[in-house]
Amino acid sequence: MADVFLEAKNISKTFVGVKALDNVDLTISKGEIHCLIGENGSGKSTLIKVIGGIHKADSGTISIEGNLLSGKDAIESIRSGVQIIYQDLSLFPNLTVAENISINDMLESNQQVVNWKKMRETAKRALSEIGEDIDIDERVENLSVAKKQIIAISRALTQNAKLIIMDEATSAITSEEVKHLFSIILKLKERGIATLFVSHKLGEVFEIAENISILRDGKLLGVYPSHELNEERLAYIMTGLNLKFEPYTYESDKFSQTPLLEVKNLAKGGQYKDINFQVRPGEIVGIIGLIGSGRTEVVESIFGIDQPDSGSISVEGTEVSIKNPRDAMRHGIAFLPEDRLTQGLFDVQSIGNNIVITVIRNFLKRSKLLDLPKKRTCEHEWVEKLSIKTPTPNNPANSLSGGNQQRVVIAKWLATDPKVFILDGPTIGIDIGSKHTIHEIIRDLARQGMGIVIISDEAQEILDNCNRVIVMSKGTIIKEFADSRDVDADHLLDIVARRVEIGVDA
Amino acid sequence: MNLKRIFKRSETFVLLIIIAFSVFVTIKNPAFLTLDNLFDLLRSSSGTAILGIGIFLVLISGGVDVSSTTIAIVTQYVSITLMIRSGIDSMWFLFGLSAFIGIVLGAINAFFVSLLKVPTLIVTLGTSSLYHGIMLEFFGTRSVNIGSLPESVKSFGKINILTLTRADGSTYGLSIFFVILIALLIITYVILKYTVIGRSVYAIGGNLEAAKRAGFNTRKTHFFVYTYAGLLAGIMGVIHLSLIRYSNPNYIVGTELGVIAAVVLGGARISGGTGTLTGTMLGIILITILEKNLIMMGLSTYWQQLFIGVVLILGVSITYLQAKFQQSGKTIIATEEE
Amino acid sequence: MKNKLPRLLQFKFKEPKNKFLFIIMMGTILIMFALLPEVFLSSTNLKSMASQFPEFGFLALAMMLAMITGGIDLSVVATANFTGVIAALILTKGPAAGMNPMLSIVLAIAATIVAALPVGLINGFLIAYIGVPPILATLGTQGLFLGIATVITKGLSVANFPKSFLYIGNGSIFGIPIVFILFIIGTIFVWLLLGKTEQGFNMYMLGTNPIVSRYSGVDNAKIIMQTYITTALLAAVSSIIMISRANSMRPGYGSSYLLQAILVVVLGGADPDGGFGNIPGLLMAIVMLQVTQSGFNILAFSPFVRKFIWGFALLLVMTINYIAQQYGNYKRVKKMRQSTASEAT
Repeated sequence: MADVFLEAKNISKTFVGVKALDNVDLTISKGEIHCLIGENGSGKSTLIKVIGGIHKADSGTISIEGNLLSGKDAIESIRSGVQIIYQDLSLFPNLTVAENISINDMLESNQQVVNWKKMRETAKRALSEIGEDIDIDERVENLSVAKKQIIAISRALTQNAKLIIMDEATSAITSEEVKHLFSIILKLKERGIATLFVSHKLGEVFEIAENISILRDGKLLGVYPSHELNEERLAYIMTGLNLKFEPYTYESDKFSQTPLLEVKNLAKGGQYKDINFQVRPGEIVGIIGLIGSGRTEVVESIFGIDQPDSGSISVEGTEVSIKNPRDAMRHGIAFLPEDRLTQGLFDVQSIGNNIVITVIRNFLKRSKLLDLPKKRTCEHEWVEKLSIKTPTPNNPANSLSGGNQQRVVIAKWLATDPKVFILDGPTIGIDIGSKHTIHEIIRDLARQGMGIVIISDEAQEILDNCNRVIVMSKGTIIKEFADSRDVDADHLLDIVARRVEIGVDA
Repeated sequence: MNLKRIFKRSETFVLLIIIAFSVFVTIKNPAFLTLDNLFDLLRSSSGTAILGIGIFLVLISGGVDVSSTTIAIVTQYVSITLMIRSGIDSMWFLFGLSAFIGIVLGAINAFFVSLLKVPTLIVTLGTSSLYHGIMLEFFGTRSVNIGSLPESVKSFGKINILTLTRADGSTYGLSIFFVILIALLIITYVILKYTVIGRSVYAIGGNLEAAKRAGFNTRKTHFFVYTYAGLLAGIMGVIHLSLIRYSNPNYIVGTELGVIAAVVLGGARISGGTGTLTGTMLGIILITILEKNLIMMGLSTYWQQLFIGVVLILGVSITYLQAKFQQSGKTIIATEEE
Repeated sequence: MKNKLPRLLQFKFKEPKNKFLFIIMMGTILIMFALLPEVFLSSTNLKSMASQFPEFGFLALAMMLAMITGGIDLSVVATANFTGVIAALILTKGPAAGMNPMLSIVLAIAATIVAALPVGLINGFLIAYIGVPPILATLGTQGLFLGIATVITKGLSVANFPKSFLYIGNGSIFGIPIVFILFIIGTIFVWLLLGKTEQGFNMYMLGTNPIVSRYSGVDNAKIIMQTYITTALLAAVSSIIMISRANSMRPGYGSSYLLQAILVVVLGGADPDGGFGNIPGLLMAIVMLQVTQSGFNILAFSPFVRKFIWGFALLLVMTINYIAQQYGNYKRVKKMRQSTASEAT
């Protein structure tokens, strides 16, 4: 049996009355690749922070290589060999690349004086270890998300870490870079360095993990060798239900053929060009592409967050001018943004307020004053309709789980009665049970005649839910499958990653 | 490539404005660009510049300090009153006492900011009222005039490290205040660039959460920032006293917004984490010569506030417009290369 | 059975913080009453208090609007000075040049409104279109407009207005000071704006998170412009009250009001980061402050003790806010967890 590196037993942690962790165990052997699955709110962030020494557990023990951790500060964990890469990367935007990479090293060595030469050397070395070349004097805030990821990873590597914890580290890097990252993880394994990989992307998890721990509501549901699990088994463990995954069928004869949304020759310098596609009533169109392929930029232009340089957008056959989100909304376009917490929800405001913000105008009486009872009724209606789990719409949105939060954002857009609903990454950070429900909601909308666009990284999600698939890469559409049944997940991913040559497309 | 970066910085911009303005004024009034005038300028504005260093430091850490001026006057008035009462006639005593009081008052600021997580503007608004009220109530409101000042204070202000003679035989020189300023600038620069605690100030200003996770003791950093600012305010108080040879407990207070404006003009961002000492000094120079030279240009002092207001508005507009264009110009993916 | 008592007597407040604030406010009043039994609740004193705070109250209303949108308006006092100076000049130069006093009064009042517009427009433009942080933008306009007022008057005060004008500041109707009535009207207006209009709702949302509000279709720029124009207008009303009570205006008048306005808004429950704030809370905070101030006056406390106590009060309030927030979170999340737990089984 391999040596145990980290052994966490009976970890419990309560925050202002909420039990974030309830008797959770976690064992990681030297060089093991262990994955942690759980939606936002399951306790995985807390568990990571307890291991990292940021929070002290209320009860339970953590030992690293046999030594008990006192949990007094982060430095103790860092010195024991634990390195955490957070989802937000925890970089200093105002400092240079060199400083960001070397900063942990500097703190760990307990020095008082800064040795800039050593800092630069450390940074250069760390970057070369993963084969990257970034200007180390550049301020981090001027870099793209992908480059920031690389810096975060380099930083972790400067510490002679024995356990690297990656919290949703792949959410903003391309799958090429993910492959690269995985190869590094395997190299680390050879050196005896363990990885705790936290992710909601099941495809990646199954690919890289040796063992998988599942958390839900602060409790450990179980630890399984990854070969014993697949998506269906996982769904059963997490929800207790047998969830079926059936692809969506588009019944073209039921609906009008006039496209609800038609985009022609859309182009924006430096972001995308030659974008042409249609969305007809009842269709669910999927857009897939690597980070940086321009997918979010295109839809944000359609929604009015930004403007294209040239090209046209038409709604129900008529060309429209969209200069801001209000224009888009007026034409019946709704947009669920990629980042729920920074773009989609007012987390400290009530659930009800979040839902009605898009339609507040509907509650105005003749006097231009708000009809508050009408507003409240509307709030209650939507909470009902989308089964949002809350005792009252007056609770703040941040009191909800990830899946429920997403339903609030969906509700706020459905309240506008849109013709076209664009969803950018609708199931990111959501547990498998809620994911399924949200897919059902989306399909129902399509069946009622709405035109839907889904953007996702996950080939399986796209193929299951969309009748048409568009592949984007480096700012253009490189392939469109008029029928999603014509392609399978592996082939689709190959095209996305440009591993396959494609001819000129229809 | 490095040259391009220099041009993008707001410090360069401010420097150009200073040069342009100086040229303009000198044309109208040649007396401006004389050593006599410049030394005088340095003497009278070194104190404010020292205050500016403290405010700059707080700004870098992500806070806004409106209590520095109050701390300066409180340390000044209390120290000189105690000094006179005690009969001790030593500048070291005065500096020491002032510094001590400044550090204590700064520590109280740090307590609220760091431990109770109160927004810094609110904390410093509260403490400035608190400190000033206590001082006026328990130490009185009577000004201390030159007659009551101990010898050491009176003679300190006259010390010059470099003395020159004018045509009429009178002397002028480079004041010791300037030397103190330079010394503090060097010390602060070294701390900020070459010590871990100095880098931690930039770190917490850039991303407080990340700083905690990286293992920085953010509490320690906050205490350092505010006590250092308090210390600098204390030093400024003594210099101010030596300069005008008069201590009125209602002076200095009210000028904090002007100093903040100067620091911001010099390129420090109100959101924290960004800024340089050079820029701060340039900003202070700009505001100072604007203030002084309105008089030289024949405009009465009433115009001062208006001018500073206009300069601030123009200055920040340019800074933030620049930032806006930089953001939108940033390409997210290259459609051509790679 | 429906409870017929007004909400106040039911001791039910929409905002949890207000319950606490109400207790403190009543406590302050009771203490003052206990210390000065005959004087404090006398009609003279009540009238005096009721006519003292409105000029400040309008500034506080303005400050709250700015803070709800996540900003701050450091220029409110300077705006009042600026508009007040212009009105004062019309009121003195007009009649001196032979204008009918009533006409000069009407013009003066109209002029304050008109003069407030450039301030609001500049603030709004800087913040909404150039992206200058509100603290810096209003710092700039504060200097600019106080500066203009100083230049116009050369730092001196302008005094002696037509007697009929002074009636606004010193007269009463049915025993209630006119300025108090004006303040009630102003409060109702702001209360309606915040609680019952689309703009008000959007102000709260924008203040919570301007990115999310943009993605939700809110016209951020328009809301910000409207906010800062409104704050300038409220400051203008304040200036009318100021000059009709003091019979003069000098640049720099009311400078201490700035800190007090921020204090009162924060005390009243507004979050300095934006998104929260309400009229009942603000009113209670203003009452508390006025009661305390009057009490200090009658007890002949020195003005310095007042300064010290306000600084202390601000810090105390923030400390209590912090503790209360932690407690509030605890209670609410506990409730949530209990209900989801029972649902999940």
